[in-house]
Amino acid sequence: MLTAALRKELLLQWRSRAQFMAVFVFGAAALLLFSFAVGPVAELLRQFSAGFLWLGLLLSSTLTLAESFHAEMENRAMEGLLLLPANPRALYYGKAIANWLQLTLLGIALIPVMVVLYDAGTTRIPLLILVIALGAAGLSAPGTLYAAMTAQVRSKQTLLPLLLFPLIVPALLASVKATSLIILGDPMNQVRSWIVLLVSFDAIYWSLCGILFGKVVEE
Amino acid sequence: MNGMIPGGWGFVVAAYSVTAIVLAVYGASVIARLRNEITRRSHD
Amino acid sequence: MHVDNNRFPRLPWIILGLGIVFLAIGSYIGLFVAPPEALMGQVQRIMYVHVPTAWNALLAMTFAFVCAVMFLFRSAWKWDARMEAAIEVGVVLAFLLCCQGAIWAKPTWGVWWDWDPRLTTTAVLLFAFLGILALRKFVDDPARRAIWSAVATIIAYVDVPIVYYSVRWWNSLHQLQSSPSTVSRQFWLPLRMNAFGILFLMTAFIMLRARVASMRLAQELVPPPAVGESV
Repeated sequence: MLTAALRKELLLQWRSRAQFMAVFVFGAAALLLFSFAVGPVAELLRQFSAGFLWLGLLLSSTLTLAESFHAEMENRAMEGLLLLPANPRALYYGKAIANWLQLTLLGIALIPVMVVLYDAGTTRIPLLILVIALGAAGLSAPGTLYAAMTAQVRSKQTLLPLLLFPLIVPALLASVKATSLIILGDPMNQVRSWIVLLVSFDAIYWSLCGILFGKVVEE
Repeated sequence: MNGMIPGGWGFVVAAYSVTAIVLAVYGASVIARLRNEITRRSHD
Repeated sequence: MHVDNNRFPRLPWIILGLGIVFLAIGSYIGLFVAPPEALMGQVQRIMYVHVPTAWNALLAMTFAFVCAVMFLFRSAWKWDARMEAAIEVGVVLAFLLCCQGAIWAKPTWGVWWDWDPRLTTTAVLLFAFLGILALRKFVDDPARRAIWSAVATIIAYVDVPIVYYSVRWWNSLHQLQSSPSTVSRQFWLPLRMNAFGILFLMTAFIMLRARVASMRLAQELVPPPAVGESV
């Protein structure tokens, strides 16, 4: 059940890879704009690079998440209903995993942008990728749930970030801190605590949202 | 009589006033909406 | 279809009156009778309203969570009405808490916001619940509105301890100050009175607001017969 749903999602995403490129450009543009907020002060930019990366990723996520239920809405948009297969849970996890992969790839793609714009390089790339993956998971679990809700509502573009942003504050904090420690140095090995926080957040929300998703899409 | 923070009375008054005002305004708004619903219902 | 629960129509008004009285007396004692605190002077008096507001804000949010769970399990409309009321009252109290916190922080720390974990969590919670109120405004179908906002309330409430601990850890890495909000034993009287005062006010507000919500629901669920129109 799940693998079928997942395979369908990945296929859909592959087909809309032009859209992924557009979101990547958006994210990179956001990172550029952030640097204008600070000014060409190398030290400051480097210090805030983790924050900028994650803010850019967060803003981009609203675009990718909003798109994720597009296919289901196609034919039944008039009634404001989703076109559903028999198993909502498989649908949820299929979409959530697909969104997670997309966000993780986006984050990884933005690393070189970050390195160039903010002089924020690091040798601990695998660890950085891990943090990006965990943070993206934190965004995509509740994000997919809220995307399902708001896809069926007017004013969806405002509602999705409005609902999502306060909720993911812990994931954002932990991701930014962990990334910052990786880039700027971590003498006391605090990265581990932040990763634990991220893993806990992900565990709680991947289970909770899966359970609640059925309620959200039932008719 | 005063502690380490001088001239706190202004802030104290502000805090208590804000509390009273917010609670009063919200209470009035709930009561107004309730009256509204009751009159609307009696007209049906 | 029974949505209204009006067995004791006068009750909210009695509780409201009690709340006003308790809050008035408690505030009077806190302002004029209790002595100023050794370290913080007069500013400490703000705690006599700030702490009770904090307790009740959390209580309102907790009640909203309970209503959300009850609605999902029992599917009774009264729980949706109560949840809507609890969320709105919780938002008002959370907003008030942030105002009080800022007014307290300025003379104490010199800045309007000191990133105290409790207050910062309240701010996040305020936005989360405002979002849920916005969600309710944009969904027209009552059943979907009820289910979705119940789900969103559960998700937001579960987040509260997580937000608190993450902000506390994040905060502790940068600042060493802590916000002394404990009140010494001999000053408990105004604190307790105000706590009950705001509790009664909150309860009355939730009861009355829930009544408003029930009446609106009743209107929505049984539309008036339209003359010469088909459904």
